[in-house]
Amino acid sequence: MIEGKCWVADDYVLAYEIIIQQYWTSPIDPEDNSKWVMAGVKEEFNAENAFKDRGYTFIVAAHNFAGGGKSIEHVIAGLMGAGIKAVFADSFARLQFRNAINYGLPFVTSKDIAISCDTDDVLRYNPDTGLIQNLTKDKEFQSLPAAPFVAEVGAVGGLMNYVRDKIAKGEAIG
Amino acid sequence: MGMTITEKIMAKQSGRDKVVPGELVWVDVESVMTMDYLGKTCFDKFRSLGKTEVFDKSKVICVSDHLVPPPNQKFATMLNEWREVVKKHDIEYFYDLGRQGIAHQIMVEQGHVLPGTISIGTDSHANTYGAAGAVGNAVGVTDAAVAMATGKAWFRIPEAVKFHITGEWQPWVMAKDLSLHIMGMMHWNGHLIYKTLEFTGPAIESLDMAGRMTLCNMTVDLGAKNGIIAPDQITADYLKDVAKGDWEMINSDEDARYEAVYEIDVTDLVPTVALPDKLDDTVTVDQLKGTKFNKAFVGTCTNGRLEDLAMLAKILKDKQIHRDVNMIVVPASQTVYLDALRAGHIETLIMAGAAVDTPSCAACAGIHTGVAGDGDIVLSAGNRNMKGRMGSKNAQIYLTSPAVVAASAITGEITDPRTISI
Ligand code: SF4
Repeated sequence: MIEGKCWVADDYVLAYEIIIQQYWTSPIDPEDNSKWVMAGVKEEFNAENAFKDRGYTFIVAAHNFAGGGKSIEHVIAGLMGAGIKAVFADSFARLQFRNAINYGLPFVTSKDIAISCDTDDVLRYNPDTGLIQNLTKDKEFQSLPAAPFVAEVGAVGGLMNYVRDKIAKGEAIG
Repeated sequence: MGMTITEKIMAKQSGRDKVVPGELVWVDVESVMTMDYLGKTCFDKFRSLGKTEVFDKSKVICVSDHLVPPPNQKFATMLNEWREVVKKHDIEYFYDLGRQGIAHQIMVEQGHVLPGTISIGTDSHANTYGAAGAVGNAVGVTDAAVAMATGKAWFRIPEAVKFHITGEWQPWVMAKDLSLHIMGMMHWNGHLIYKTLEFTGPAIESLDMAGRMTLCNMTVDLGAKNGIIAPDQITADYLKDVAKGDWEMINSDEDARYEAVYEIDVTDLVPTVALPDKLDDTVTVDQLKGTKFNKAFVGTCTNGRLEDLAMLAKILKDKQIHRDVNMIVVPASQTVYLDALRAGHIETLIMAGAAVDTPSCAACAGIHTGVAGDGDIVLSAGNRNMKGRMGSKNAQIYLTSPAVVAASAITGEITDPRTISI
């Protein structure tokens, strides 16, 4: 069970704006990437640690979160470094959805959640059942629990750990 | 129930008889591409998995494209580190400065992508590989590192959408116009998120490889997982001398299942332009008649091929580019450059007043070679036009075909190529 404050984003938050161009060539590092995460999304986040310091646990978004077709993993690393434990949205862009699975950050599809939450509402998420509760507004949303492979990768802290472990044990993949 | 071409390829590469949309499978990949600015991280991650040798030294393809030639010290140093790591792993195919090209062009042109197989790359436009009847997919560095170590990648089998394209291509209308038309119709990252897009029909069968690559290239911008065109004689002729392995013709079954089928007749298609900032804000070229611009750019993995340069040369032959327009042309690879040079296109373009630069991504991602500054209005044959994409956030980018860029470069205003006399 995860509980904490949410930040509600607009439609079409681009990966390009979550991590702005000048950081695309920096190393992928949660601590480092989180300093300027969301810098291009809102002017108020365009300062060192501005987003991180708000202490959000969840992001709630509408359509096509993290879109624009960037494959860089700084986006997911930056969000995780900023303390984000799950993102709920109507839909996600494919590339970052994949990266999120590989990093073990739940990207959870749940219809209409964006219109039913305000920034700073307190949410509670149960990854096993997929239930999302808005404790501030006393509302509930059901999402699909993660597929077994996704849950397995998430449980070991991401695809790198999953594969490293298989290689070390000499086990086949897939 | 039959399977689509993408399902068949994924079934074959995962050792199954059948797969259905929604299933997660591990597949064998044919090749893994990585490039200059993410490649070192890929190799570092790969080694952190406990491996020192990649799964196949001839199937990890390394390309220098985004950062070459280095415009500053930071990138020069990054390139040096990149070269060192590629050397250290004894990679067979390293397309570095001098033998370079945009990775997606190289992958297809040099035969690293084979029909009926799956190739992945650490750059979003890896969807381009679908032009060769392969599944081409963009991934992050984690997936690439895993594939370098194991030769495998995980995939969710995507639902399929078919675009059945009929009719006759009209003069000056290009595959890019069809791409932009579909973009306007389906929306940028809209209903097609996660889908496999299949292009079929007589107007696809008559399209050359360059056009097929343009079409598949931009499926990533529709939000799709991949775009694919079944291999045929055109594919076979193209691959004849370059294929780096055996391959087979795989096609969709007659009774394959599609979530939706869209019919488009290209006879009615006209040159199309995407307005600044959003790719799906498209209009026909006549609606922008008279719109002034000051920079013209033709290149990229979308439209930097020989056929694109030939189109430019055809329109610009014995003409002069308008004095208020700076035009930069960047061939997509050294092979394209050399072919265009031998065909006389480069001379034609220089005589017309265009600057031709060495193959690279150039200003497409705002890194170097003609980046946009404040107040610039760019008419580009590239693939993305969001604010800041080519440099300044205070620049505007119109996207269109090479034919529209060439015709417009002569007049200094957005111009319908069908109105130019050649
Ligand atoms: S040409 Fe542009 S879109 Fe293509 S790989 Fe290079 S930067 Fe990306």
